Formats: sequence, C-alpha cells, structure tokens
Amino acid sequence: MPRRFLAAAALALAATALTATAHADAGDLAKAKSEGKAVFYANITSVQPIMKAFTADTGVTGEYTRISSSKFVATLVTEADAGKLLADVVQAPLPVLELLRERGLLAKYRSPSAADYPAWTHPDDSIQLFGIEYVGLIYNRDLVKPADVPKRYEDLTDPKWNNKIVMANPANHPSTISWLVGLREHVFKSDADWMKFLKGLAANHPMFVASFGPTPAPIESGEKLIGISMPKYIVTQAPAPLDWARLDGEPLLGTPRAIAITAKAPHPAAARAFVDYWLGRKAMGMLAKDVGEYVATPGVYPPIPGIDHAKVIAVRELSDEEIRKWGAEFKDIFGVK
Amino acid sequence: MGNGRSTLAWLLIAVVGLLTICPVAMLALGSFSTGLTAFGSFTLAKYAAAYGDPALYGVVADTVGFVVGSSLLATVLALFFAYLSTRTDIPLKRLFAIVSLVPMMIPHLLFAVSWALLLNPSNGMLNLVLKDLFALDHAPFNIYSLPGMILVEGLLDMPIAYLIMAPAMASFDVSLEESSHVFGAGNLQTLARITLPVLRPAILAAFTLGVVRSLASFAVPSVIGMPGQVPVLATYIYQMIATGFATDYGKAAAVGMSVLVTSIVLIVVYRRLTAASEKFVTVSGRGYRPAQIALGRARGPLLAVVAAISLVMIVLPVLVLLYTSLVPYAMVPSRHAFAMMSLRHWREVLQDPVSLASLENSLFLGVAGATLGVVLSLFVAWVIVRVKTRAAGLLEGLSYLSFSFPGIVIGVGFMWFFVQTPLYATLTALLIGYIATYLPYGIRPLASAFIQIHTHLEESSRVCGAGTLVTLRRVVAPLLVPGIVSAWILMASMFVRELSLSVVLSRPGTEVLAVQILHFADDGLWGQLSALGMLMIAISTTLVVIAAAVGSRFRALAAQG
Repeated sequence: MPRRFLAAAALALAATALTATAHADAGDLAKAKSEGKAVFYANITSVQPIMKAFTADTGVTGEYTRISSSKFVATLVTEADAGKLLADVVQAPLPVLELLRERGLLAKYRSPSAADYPAWTHPDDSIQLFGIEYVGLIYNRDLVKPADVPKRYEDLTDPKWNNKIVMANPANHPSTISWLVGLREHVFKSDADWMKFLKGLAANHPMFVASFGPTPAPIESGEKLIGISMPKYIVTQAPAPLDWARLDGEPLLGTPRAIAITAKAPHPAAARAFVDYWLGRKAMGMLAKDVGEYVATPGVYPPIPGIDHAKVIAVRELSDEEIRKWGAEFKDIFGVK
Repeated sequence: MGNGRSTLAWLLIAVVGLLTICPVAMLALGSFSTGLTAFGSFTLAKYAAAYGDPALYGVVADTVGFVVGSSLLATVLALFFAYLSTRTDIPLKRLFAIVSLVPMMIPHLLFAVSWALLLNPSNGMLNLVLKDLFALDHAPFNIYSLPGMILVEGLLDMPIAYLIMAPAMASFDVSLEESSHVFGAGNLQTLARITLPVLRPAILAAFTLGVVRSLASFAVPSVIGMPGQVPVLATYIYQMIATGFATDYGKAAAVGMSVLVTSIVLIVVYRRLTAASEKFVTVSGRGYRPAQIALGRARGPLLAVVAAISLVMIVLPVLVLLYTSLVPYAMVPSRHAFAMMSLRHWREVLQDPVSLASLENSLFLGVAGATLGVVLSLFVAWVIVRVKTRAAGLLEGLSYLSFSFPGIVIGVGFMWFFVQTPLYATLTALLIGYIATYLPYGIRPLASAFIQIHTHLEESSRVCGAGTLVTLRRVVAPLLVPGIVSAWILMASMFVRELSLSVVLSRPGTEVLAVQILHFADDGLWGQLSALGMLMIAISTTLVVIAAAVGSRFRALAAQG
C-alpha cells in the first residue's frame, strides 16, 4: 500500500511538474516574444534555415553572428568586459565554452529538449553538448578504387598515398590536433603504434591547409585523392564524388559541439526559447539533413549511407596548453615549417 | 598664410590621429597587458614570448623575399602598364587600363585559390595543358612555392602601384622628353634618363605601399604559402593565434609592432628620398601639355606582350572564377564538367538574404567611404606635400599607422576601441574603420600628383586674391583629377572587398561581402563563393567605370572652362 501510494504520489508530482513546466514554457515564450529577439554567436555551417524556422515557429527573431573559433573568446571577453555582450546564446567547441564558463560568462540552464540526450552531452549545468564535429577519411570515389579505400587508419601510411593526402595543419589547427591525440586514446593500443602511424602519415607528405574548410575542394577536383576531413561535406558538396572510408571496427572521432546561454543575456527568455528550439528534433533534424552534422539527438542521423552504423566518439577536450604542446610535437613530426 | 597651413596641419593631425592611433594604441596596450583584452596589469611577457621564439627569426628571410619580390613585381608590371597606357599610342589602352585594375577587385582569397587551380602541381589547369603540349613528365610549375607567392601577391598589389603611377605619368610634361630627344637620345635612353628619374616619387610610393601591403597580407601566405610550407610573418602570427582557443591577440600585437616599426622606417626613408620635391615637378604654369609617344614598329609586338600578360595573369584567373561558379563542385574542365554547368550557385546566392544584405552594405561602404576618404585624403596629401614642417611628417606617419598593422590583428584593435564607444556593431564603425585603415590609398596617388604640380600655380592664384580653399578648388583640383579618380577607385574597390576589419566588426545588419565570402570558404562552398566574388567584381568594375567617366567629364569641363 505505502509503495503504491508513493508511486501514485510520485506520478502526481511528476504530472504537476510537467504541467508547471508546460505553463512555464508558455509563459517563457510570451516573455521571449516580448523581448523580440535572440542573438546567437556561433561558428557553424549554414544555420540560416534554422534561424528562419525558429523565427517562424516562435515569433521570436533569431539573429546569427558567425565568429571564427580563433576570435570567439577574444570577442566575447571584450564585449563582456565593456558591458556590451550582445550574445544571448553561444555555440562553439566545448573547450571554448569551458573558457567562457570559467570567466563566469555562462548561465546555468538545462533545456527540457535535451532530456533524452545521452549522458555524455551534459558535462555541467551550463553547457549542453549537441553534436560531434566528426572527422573521417574522405576520398574521391571516382579516382580511388574500392579495393584501395583504407580499412584502418594506419592504411593511410601506405606509400601509395604519397603526395595524395590533404589535411588541416597539424601544428596549429586545434580540431586536427585533438583528433590526432584522440587516435592515441581511442584507436592505437600503444604510443609506439601511434607514433608509427604519425610518422608514416608524415612520410606521405600530406598537403597542409589552414582548416577543414579548404580540405574537400582538392579531393573533389582530384588534386589530392584522400583527406582527413569531415563526412558532412558529402552532404554539403553533393553531387561531388566524395565518400567516407568505413573502417573495420575503428571509430570516427571528433570534438564535441556545445551550446550555452550567456550569464547576462540581453534577452534571457528568448535565449532559453532558442536553446530549447535548437536542441529539439526539428532543428537537429535540419542540421543533420541539410548540413550533414552528427547530432546527439537519438535516432537522428545525417543522410550519409552507413553513418548510422558508425561508432562516433567525442574526443577528450584538450586544454590550450595541451594543444600547444601537441602542436609543437606534430610540427616536428610532420616537418611543418 | 603659414599660420593657416600650420593650423590645418594640426587639425588634420587631430582627426587622422584619432582615427588611426586609437586602435593601434589599444593593441599596444594589449601587448603590454596580462590577459586577453587591452586592459590588464603591465607585463613584458608577451614581447619576451613573441621575440624569444627562435622560429620567428626563421620566417624573416622568407618574409623579406616575399615582400621585396612581390613589391618589385607589382611596381615593374604597373610601370610597364601605366607607361604604355598613358604615354604611348598603343591600341586598346582603355581596356588595358581597366584590365590592370581587375586583381584589385577580386577578393584576395579567391584570386589565390584561382591560381592554385591553375598552377597546382597535381592537376593545375595550366600545368596540365603545358604537360600535354610539351609531353612533360612533371608539372612545369608549382604555385605552392615562394616564387608562386611572389607572383600572386605581386599581381594583387599591381593595381595599387598602377593607380599611383598612372596619374603621375598622365601629368608628365613632354617638353622634358623632347629636350632629351633634341640632344639625340633615343626612346629607351630618354625613358631611363628622364622619365623614370622624374617619376621617382611615384615609383617609390608604389614600392613602399607594396611592401607595407604585402607585409600585412594574409590570403596569399595562407592559401599558397601554407601548403607550400613557406611561412611568412602573417602565417607566423596566424599560427600564434590559431593554436588554442584562448587567443592572445596582445602577443600577436607584440609581433605586429615590429611590422609597424618597419613600415614607419620605410615611410621616413621614402620622405627623405623625395624631400626635394621641386626636382619632380612636371606641371608648372609654363606650357604644360602631356603628349603621346609613337611606338612605331614596336606597337604590334608590345600590344601582343601586354595582351598575353593580361590574358594569362589577369583574365584567366577571372575565367576560373566564372567557371567555378557554374560547375557543381571543384572540377577540372572536361566535357563532363561543362555538361554539369548550371546557375545553381548564382541562384542560391541571389536568394540568400545575408548575401543580398552584404551586397547592399558593401556598395554603400564603397561609395560613401571612398567619397569621404578622398575628401580627407585631399587635405592630408596637400599638407604632406606643401607644408614642409615636422607636423606634415607626423601626419604622414599617422596616416600609415593602422594600415601598416598585419590585417589579422588590426581588426581586433578596432574592436577593442569601438567597444568603448556607442558605435560598436554599427555600419558607421565599419565606415570609420575603413577610412582610418586605408587612408594611404587615398593619400598616395594624391600626394604623387601634388608633388608634380608646381607651387607657382597655387601662388599665382593667391596673388590674384584667391584663398587657400578657392585655390584648391579652382586651380589644384582640376589638375588633380587623375589622382582623385585613382584615389577614389583604390578606396572604393578596397572597401567593397574589405575583410580584416569586417570579420571582427560585422554583426547582423552590418554584413559585408568579404565576410560572407569567407564564410563560404570556411564551409568549402567554392561555387557560391565564386558567384558572390563575380558579383563583387561586377560592382567594383561598375564603380571604376563610373569614376573614370566622371573624371574624364570633369577634365573636359575644366579644359573648356
């Protein structure tokens, strides 16, 4: 009896809480509308359709400012110090938001839209992870025979790829540095195996570019045949002859994408409404379908054949000190001038 | 009169100083402060870290080669084009004059990418053609090299040099050359002994500006130098700020300070070399008439050379852009590629509200910014040339302050400055920032033109009772029209494609073309990027044609009146 009573009480409480949340949501949305707009600082591809849908569905205008990762912290800190922080919501790689949280620039918020997200997406009370900037071996399917497609990461060290690889500069591109370190932690069993891979890759003289952005074009045009790049380009560059190498039992790795509300958001209710919308199935579905992003929403995948069966892992976020340290190591190994 | 000039000089120092010192001062503060912003406790650690890095000294040699090589190439090519188009009877000169300005209208990032598509060693289009033609085993050229960087940067800086030298050549007094011919000298001898020495201020100005620009350049070092493993100062600074997330722009500013000092030293040297400006006067009150040199039998071969240079170095990269905007993804030209061509990328760009807003804002900034910038430059150039006091030297130095700072850092200086004002995140902030940074583009062509106009003309006007402003308007301005047109074109086309400041200061409502193009590049969307780039070229070309036509009309009216 007491057990039944407790269960009923718990259900009643949960129902009350849910109703209260729903009421709060409705109230919050009305408040968001009165605030007028939500200002979103981010560095993510083609999100204008989501901003448009948010505006249409909620009546709150979504304003997007794109700020590159190298200017993100500097811009936010400068605005905050001057008391002119314009951003309500910020999206960036996890280490960037952790830097902002350490400076007290993020508010605590747990969105109900992320309730069914996996546990790893909730690192703390302020930051919500919603996807992985996943990296893979992307090749030109017109120029690489199926038999030649790598089956393991170490296949990249085969001399047949000499002068045929493009990748972001391993001496300074943070996501590539984190990815290379991630290989050690998730793929290679020993330092010796990892080092052998790095040296073999370096011996194939990859062409270095500034970031992931310039990696697909040389693969599409045939200037290079394969690259350490992002599978999302298979979607955004369609109908380019790009495909991704399915590796035998080895995961795809990437840095986690994070979102949070700023501590002194000029439009706090609009900020909450935006984060709820962003993390919802509709927006995440658009991000996966139109931009090829790997999102944390259960059951939502980008339209890339086979990607729903891939094991995609968020790598450990490296501190700036670690990034600089490994960047210097990779500079030596890859002979970057 | 002396007092009036001095007052004007100090007034301009105040205006230009306010515009240019503030961002640089913020960067200087940041370089001496702990933390990530301009304000923190004093430290020398950033200088110690920046200059204590042995890698810095390794990149200096390549930087010198890159900067001197590209500036020389830009100056020599511009001299060649300017001489032929202003002083000789070569056919199609108007066309060549416009063609030589084209690289200035293309976003540098796109121009560099076009050259990579043409001359990369794997499947560069020109390399493939040459390999087929001459049955070669290997690609004959590798754009990812120091010579490749020099070629592309030289071409990008050539229009600046052209626009500085062309007005000086246009106002060249032919009697000097006629005297040389009377004494038996041939065309080449006259060119070497008379024409070039008289044009020294303009040539030096063009070279100096080329050096300062290529020192601050980032697109070519990034797109061509990085894959080619040729690091220069700009990529060194990029590496410094890109490695990690808590970007320390103060440390980057500490490196930038040495670029600034180099530029200031160059400007002082330039002033010394052109101090006795009377030597270079070519338009005095006595029988000035520019005239053309008949090329005779050299006309055909020279036309062929100019046409070949224009085609290979300027038209071809633009055609690559047009092609890229029409194919669905990066493809080597083939029957398959041509069959897949469509206007998809153009439609996407023309239906994208942010791209359309960028077009509108950039057009406004180009027209309004260049007009305001030229008015300010007119006064500053006059003071720099005519008022030979220390104040004039100070004014010239100030005008170069923001311009000399590496592009990837100066934008942050402006952000640190504007965030302290109500102008932050407005179009006005961009307008002010543009004018402040690119003031030398207005001043240099005008100063070169002022140097060549004899003070006798102004003095005669004053003897007849006209004041300084009336003299400027009725006597000097009509003679300055070529300089004014050059300055306006340089500023307008720069503002239409400006990136360094915009990428930091642009916000919703103040979107501009170059930032939108950068975002397309970040996403690897080269088709849309090329379509928007072509629209940018179209806008700039229209502005150039209008400016040239207005200039011609004004000169014709002045000649009649």
